[in-house]
Amino acid sequence: MLSIRNIDVYYGDLQALWDVSLDIEDLKITSLIGSNGAGKSTLQLAITGLVTPKNGTIHAGENRLDNQPAHKIVDLGISMVPEGRRLFPDMTVLDNLEMGAFSRKARGKLGETMEWVYGIFPRLKERIHQRAGALSGGEQQMLAIGRALMSRPSFLLIDELSLGLAPLVVRHICRILEEINHSRGITLFVVEQNVRMALELADYGYIMENGRIVGQGESRGLLNSEDIKAAYLGTH
Amino acid sequence: MSLKPKKVVVPALIMAVLFALPVFLKGDYYLTMVCSLFLYVTISQGWNLLGGYTGQINVGQSAFFGISALVTRLLWAGGIPFIPALLCGALASVVLSLVIGIPALRLRGHYFAIGTLAVAWIAFLAVENLFPGVTFLPGKYVATYSLLPRYYLFLVIMLSTIIVVSLVVHSRMGLAMESIREDEDAAQASGVNITKYKVIAFVISSFFVGLAGGAYAYFHVSYYWYLPFILMWCFEPILITFIGGVGTIWGPIIGAFCYVALKEVFALTLGEVNVLIFGAVFIFIILFFPKGIIGVPEKLREYLFRKEKGSRAARQKNMNV
Amino acid sequence: MEIGQFVIYGVINGSIYALVAVGLALIMGIMGIFNLAHGAMAMIGAYISFWLFQDAGIDPFLSIPISMGILFIIGLAMYKGLFASMKAFSPGQKIRNSMLVSFGLVLIIENVAVLIWTANEQRVSTAYSGLTFDLAGLRMPYIGLVTIILAVLVIFGLHLFLKKTFFGRSIWAISQDYQCAKLMGIHVDRTMLIAFGIGMSLTAVAGAIISQYSVSPSIGLDWVNKSLIIVVLAGVGSIGGVFYAGLLLGVLESVSAYFVGVHYTGVVSLVILLVILVFRPQGIFAREAGR
Repeated sequence: MLSIRNIDVYYGDLQALWDVSLDIEDLKITSLIGSNGAGKSTLQLAITGLVTPKNGTIHAGENRLDNQPAHKIVDLGISMVPEGRRLFPDMTVLDNLEMGAFSRKARGKLGETMEWVYGIFPRLKERIHQRAGALSGGEQQMLAIGRALMSRPSFLLIDELSLGLAPLVVRHICRILEEINHSRGITLFVVEQNVRMALELADYGYIMENGRIVGQGESRGLLNSEDIKAAYLGTH
Repeated sequence: MSLKPKKVVVPALIMAVLFALPVFLKGDYYLTMVCSLFLYVTISQGWNLLGGYTGQINVGQSAFFGISALVTRLLWAGGIPFIPALLCGALASVVLSLVIGIPALRLRGHYFAIGTLAVAWIAFLAVENLFPGVTFLPGKYVATYSLLPRYYLFLVIMLSTIIVVSLVVHSRMGLAMESIREDEDAAQASGVNITKYKVIAFVISSFFVGLAGGAYAYFHVSYYWYLPFILMWCFEPILITFIGGVGTIWGPIIGAFCYVALKEVFALTLGEVNVLIFGAVFIFIILFFPKGIIGVPEKLREYLFRKEKGSRAARQKNMNV
Repeated sequence: MEIGQFVIYGVINGSIYALVAVGLALIMGIMGIFNLAHGAMAMIGAYISFWLFQDAGIDPFLSIPISMGILFIIGLAMYKGLFASMKAFSPGQKIRNSMLVSFGLVLIIENVAVLIWTANEQRVSTAYSGLTFDLAGLRMPYIGLVTIILAVLVIFGLHLFLKKTFFGRSIWAISQDYQCAKLMGIHVDRTMLIAFGIGMSLTAVAGAIISQYSVSPSIGLDWVNKSLIIVVLAGVGSIGGVFYAGLLLGVLESVSAYFVGVHYTGVVSLVILLVILVFRPQGIFAREAGR
């Protein structure tokens, strides 16, 4: 289980996260929802070690994360699909995927992992030698997820999956994520602005506003709650 | 722009002191050093307008300094009275800035730096070949040579540079320029005509650098024609502005002061290895004082409150994400 | 001398230029560090070859591995001491700071070189230095042939290294997205350090060749000037393009010397740079990294 306890995160003198605590349970899909700029991405950055909390701790099981550099955290089995995909635009699909398996542990099983990823995203296999920057939005998202999977993670963090994607594509990817979670037992932490999608996908949800956790609960319950409906679900 | 009494009195006092200085400074050595100081303030402040405020790093300022020195010297030694010659020199510098500037300012980031450096190199190589040897002042000028008018020339040029740059920087133009430095795309999106302001900054900068170049030609009795074109004239204003604090009016002034003092001290005390030590100090300053001397008080504050070292390191690291 | 001979010399010179420039292409193009001391490093490489030849009798081509090793270590120290602190700067800041710091370095290096080796020109003269063979009626110096071969090997070797090996690709990845590279498990700091060392060690190859023509403490600035032109011509980020750009520059310079005289070849190369910057700042050969 990945547990975050009372972390504060600053950018220079600007505080972005205030006393945030949350648990990501093994094998489950947990989501973090909230409006734009609420601090959700900052939390992801803190987990993966790209940003260091001033106070508090982050643990993945026995291992402490908040005092480690980013590349070590990948070795611990935590992988992230960053906001906006962030592929290596001048590298091919194949290169991007292979880069995902950079860590020594993953490199040994490169071939096997790649076969698995192609199985999930056959579209990628077709585009193997294309420049990542030339793919469509949906394909890029698939590549980004595929790349993150290449490190054979036990935790997968996904930041703003739905950004800029057509609803049909989003639904397709969500189904794939569910499948990965069930069949390979990969824990998912999904950070999303699209509240409905996030809560339909996840088992458990947290709500963040202004850098603070303001609510949590079973996602079904949240979906049905009047407050959530009023705040986030509008007329959809 | 409000003119508080203090803001006028203090500068006026300083100016009075500077004008009266030759009375108290006995000896050519000191006057020459002060002239040198004024020169460096001028070219650094000129650079600062384009580089520090508008964010266009001009690494080729020696070409502008040099071309003005060249034109001024040619005209003046050829018989034209000095002031018109000086203005022609400055004009040459401005023309060069327009010829180079309009295409070059389309280049972003390091391309502009490389491009201007290339211009400076071309100028140096061309002059080295086209004007080999030394330029000597005609006898009549040597006979009547006096340090005093030269001192005042440098002083007036420096003061006018500081005043004009100051006025520009505090005006709407200055705001536009700083917005270009911060984020060109955002500035453009806000309706700022970035090319226009870049060119204006370039022209003003080159004009004053040109004046300095002409004054240089006036000051030295004899020198190798290529001397005003050597690359040091490119790097010194950048270093000086850096030392003092980029993007501030006082930065080039403080920086020039420290630079001239340091160079003099090193030349006097260290002999053969003075350039070497100088290079080492150069590096040290850039690595440890990225904000320049103006940033020193802030650095001191950071240093003194090291109790929060761990978290401060964390916050600083996050800033660079 | 007929123009064909000029072309041959142009190709040889171009190969030397390319060899000097390739290290800069790696460091500046891919790591974003504007290293004005790059030419001075080639000068150091040349002096090392000279020293090894003078004092130990080792042929300059054979001593290349040694001088590469020395320069690699110097490069590591340089990066750790000077540029590592700039790793997270914005591109503009990085360029400005690295340019200034490296300028200070040039002052130091050139003066140290004068102190150690004096300001006189030095040259390595081997048994085969002046030898040439006949190539379709023109003369091709043996050294020249080796130079061209070395240039091809080193440059395309580096290109393949960056494209095919994991380590090489991690360097490339870092240049495209620094943060993301970390997420891949790439040890970014260590990688940059080694990449810089590699970039420096490559100048040793050029140095070995330069030592056979002429070396003095002041040649550094000229070399970095040529290298900049080539890097920009090739397209910032392109490694293979450095070879072609080097050849182009070398031949153009040589041929223009035929028409304009030797003194202005420097001007020719700079004018070429300016023209390229104005019309095609991404470089002629930028297919891969069009930044």
